[in-house]
Amino acid sequence: MSEEKKVTKDMQELNKQEVKQQQMAAENEARERAEVVHLRPLTDIHESSEGVKLYLDLPGVSKDSLSIDIDKNVLTIKGEIKLDLPEKMKARYIELNSGVFERQFTLGDEIDSENIEASLKQGVLELNIPRLQQHQPRKIEIKVA
Amino acid sequence: MISNMLRFPLSMFEDDFDRWFYPQQRAEAPAARGVFPAVNVGTADKNVDVYLFAPGVDANELDVVIEKNLLSVSGERKLPEREDSEASTRLERFDGKFKRVITLPEDVDADKAEAVYQDGVLHISIAKPVEVQPRQIQVSVH
Repeated sequence: MSEEKKVTKDMQELNKQEVKQQQMAAENEARERAEVVHLRPLTDIHESSEGVKLYLDLPGVSKDSLSIDIDKNVLTIKGEIKLDLPEKMKARYIELNSGVFERQFTLGDEIDSENIEASLKQGVLELNIPRLQQHQPRKIEIKVA
Repeated sequence: MISNMLRFPLSMFEDDFDRWFYPQQRAEAPAARGVFPAVNVGTADKNVDVYLFAPGVDANELDVVIEKNLLSVSGERKLPEREDSEASTRLERFDGKFKRVITLPEDVDADKAEAVYQDGVLHISIAKPVEVQPRQIQVSVH
């Protein structure tokens, strides 16, 4: 290989590396932009022998912008705030600085995930999660001899 | 309200409405805890718009008063009663009476205000006085 050719090849290699670096930087930037701050909705949980009741505050979330998913034993609730905003509005004071709520809960094995009931009313989501029949606790009578 | 204002200097958010709905920073933030309801205020050409995030409130019991540039909203949120057989394993949501007084960022015409409660958000839109609204001036050519 002549000296000239070697230099050309080195240059090509260098160019390739540079292009690769630029691509990586662009990908990182895109990923960061995609990561939206998610608000964790405030939640109350009430448990009884029949099941679990969850109440989540999701103001501004309507039925159409709410998703409830169960993957294995992880329950994911995600809702987008949809507001009627005037054109050309300038923010002057902000306490709620995101448009997306998201929260995950891990469910126990005894949960009957097929029969979860959900209702959304005025920005409050109520979830009724029953326990499987065989897992409902039995009270054991103590006989006094 | 004043202490809240100090914690979030207005300059941080000026001209930055995108930040509200398309924030760029990472990390997860808990929804405003300890303040109920959370408030966002924005201004447009003709109105000052206030959004109060008050889920599960009886809208008929809300009291909205505008006095000069102060807007006060009070009401009560009653959470469903817990049955005797239930135990609470997590209680984060606000319960009880609330009142928030908001200093409006610009002058308003209190007679021209509308309030709508939908999906747990109270949106109050108040018109600016006509004299401060931007006006388009026609140029006539002679």
